[in-house]
Amino acid sequence: MGTPARPPAAERTRPAWGDGAAVLLVVLAAAALFFSLLPPQGNFLTAQVVLNGEVLGEYPLDALEEPVLLPLDGAPWPITLELTPEGVRVLESACPGQDCVHGGWVRRAGGRIICLPNRLVVSLRGSGGASEEFDAVTG
Amino acid sequence: MSLDLRRLTRCAVLTALALALSVAEGLVPLTILFPLPGLRLGLANLVTVYALCRLSRREALLILLARCLLGALVGGNLTALAFSLTGGALALGVMAAAVRLGALSLFGVSILGAAAHNTGQILAATAVLGSDAPLVYLPPLLLCSLVTGAVTGGASILLVQRVPEMAERNS
Amino acid sequence: MKHRLFPVVFFILLVLSGCLSAPPSGGGPAAEEGPAVRQFFAMDTLMSVSVYGPQGEAAVQEAWEVLTGLDRLLSRTSPDSEISALNAHAGDGSWVPLSPETAELLSFARQTAEDLPGAFDCTIAPVMDAWGFGGEDRHVPDAAALSARLALVDSGRLSLDLEAPAGRLEVPGMAVDLGAAAKGYAAGLAAQAVLEAGGESALLDLGRNITVLGEGPSGPSWRVAVKDPQDMERHLGVLSMRDQTASTSGGYERYFEENGVRYHHIIDPKTGYPAESGLLSVTVVSENPALADVLSTALFVAGRDEALSLWRSRTDFELVLCGADGVVTVTEGLEFDFRGEDNGYTCQTARR
Repeated sequence: MGTPARPPAAERTRPAWGDGAAVLLVVLAAAALFFSLLPPQGNFLTAQVVLNGEVLGEYPLDALEEPVLLPLDGAPWPITLELTPEGVRVLESACPGQDCVHGGWVRRAGGRIICLPNRLVVSLRGSGGASEEFDAVTG
Repeated sequence: MSLDLRRLTRCAVLTALALALSVAEGLVPLTILFPLPGLRLGLANLVTVYALCRLSRREALLILLARCLLGALVGGNLTALAFSLTGGALALGVMAAAVRLGALSLFGVSILGAAAHNTGQILAATAVLGSDAPLVYLPPLLLCSLVTGAVTGGASILLVQRVPEMAERNS
Repeated sequence: MKHRLFPVVFFILLVLSGCLSAPPSGGGPAAEEGPAVRQFFAMDTLMSVSVYGPQGEAAVQEAWEVLTGLDRLLSRTSPDSEISALNAHAGDGSWVPLSPETAELLSFARQTAEDLPGAFDCTIAPVMDAWGFGGEDRHVPDAAALSARLALVDSGRLSLDLEAPAGRLEVPGMAVDLGAAAKGYAAGLAAQAVLEAGGESALLDLGRNITVLGEGPSGPSWRVAVKDPQDMERHLGVLSMRDQTASTSGGYERYFEENGVRYHHIIDPKTGYPAESGLLSVTVVSENPALADVLSTALFVAGRDEALSLWRSRTDFELVLCGADGVVTVTEGLEFDFRGEDNGYTCQTARR
């Protein structure tokens, strides 16, 4: 290489407009990456429905556009779940205690509804890896 | 193209300079100021910028490889070698392109180089760890690279201006 | 050149100040190996056993066998259980043979009734049945029927022969229900089984009655949240626990409503009516799982003052009391991270 390349940048002694663009580019990249790494908030919930030890289904709630009623035919006591993008509840149940209906809505990852007479467990999980601040719940 | 003695010496001197700069900046770790893994001033990039401006891309690459390998020999850490090689190579590639863009000064070139270096390091870390976890450090590192890149950019402008054509004039 | 550089450097420093405020947190959790887990229904509740360590699967299996085995012995609803046999022979004078476990638990329950008269009695079953709790039709019983049933509640008339072992209910119509004691006792035996099977750390969740063994998944202690009795999705706070059981009792989960009045399932053995002690929930933390379970029910019935005076007289348990007045009382021996201020609670530390 007889004559070294003379890159234009080598001869400048003061910042050029492109430098601002470079700064902007880096800032934008950092911002884009930062926001893409933010743990997804709230809405990415999946409701898992387990009846007597058998997984009946997993329902990604954020994919729902409107409330969905889910009657569980296999349950000993007829029971209907209501799934919405925000959460899940037992809409009605023919079970004797009605504890599952009283429990109302479950809207957060880690929450669950149990219908003992039906041996039904509906649990909500956050798919975004929103880690809980605790290992177990009492009460 | 074969490397003649002069060129070889030139590369050797620049490699030694790069190594010395690496060691020197290791003495004042920036991570004391900002506890951010991978954060450093990147003074050795100065040499890469200089080589790109006043020598050739090939020499810049040779110096980079020699610097990384020798640095790993001194530091004795294979993981660090992977990090500095990926970072350095990515930085070199980006800067080699940037330095040819008409609209940039060496500030911009160095900033892009520093950002590329950090990106390369983090990518290497995700590969080594087999986890996306290190990615969370990248956004703050990128922002810090604006400062480190500007500092090395300022220094490289001085260097390139003051040492215009090392040895080439006499060849 | 210096003053040309200055604005650039200044701008960059501005950007850096933004970088400082950007949280570099959220680092990935250490990719640990998950626990062996089994979830199942037993003792009228949902149980979940999680065991960490190479022996996890085996330990879970052992715990499951212990828990389902005890369920078969202690269930009042299954006709083949020892408790059903004991109840069936009430008043006929015959001794009903019991397993050592059943006898031990009955003896413990009887002792608790003696220690806390009026707050707990395992022979409450006839009254529970009058209310329909456990059965299919929950309703307010009529007063005459209730007082007749209440007369049958007296664990002093539960005779136990711990040598045989065997038991006898002295009065026809008497019946034992171990719903408030069985889970804790079972947790103790299951924990023992987990340790014997080589489980290193474990979480036994027996219907939100939590027993932890060894180190937690994220540190030396386990973090156990205490539910807000008024909002199932919120928490009063988070306990730090090691090799302990946390048991919570409250009237907020099993109840029914009649004529606009809410009746919950924790019956005061003095009155035969759902306990009204001014407490919404009681959480007992103890190294003794059976004690934690039985005390949570007994102290929910007894109320805050009696609970705290019992706590001051002993050293084998700690308390979180959530009152209807919005005051959460935490005993000083607990490591409790209070989170209830947003739900309108105030926190108070009880000292000895």
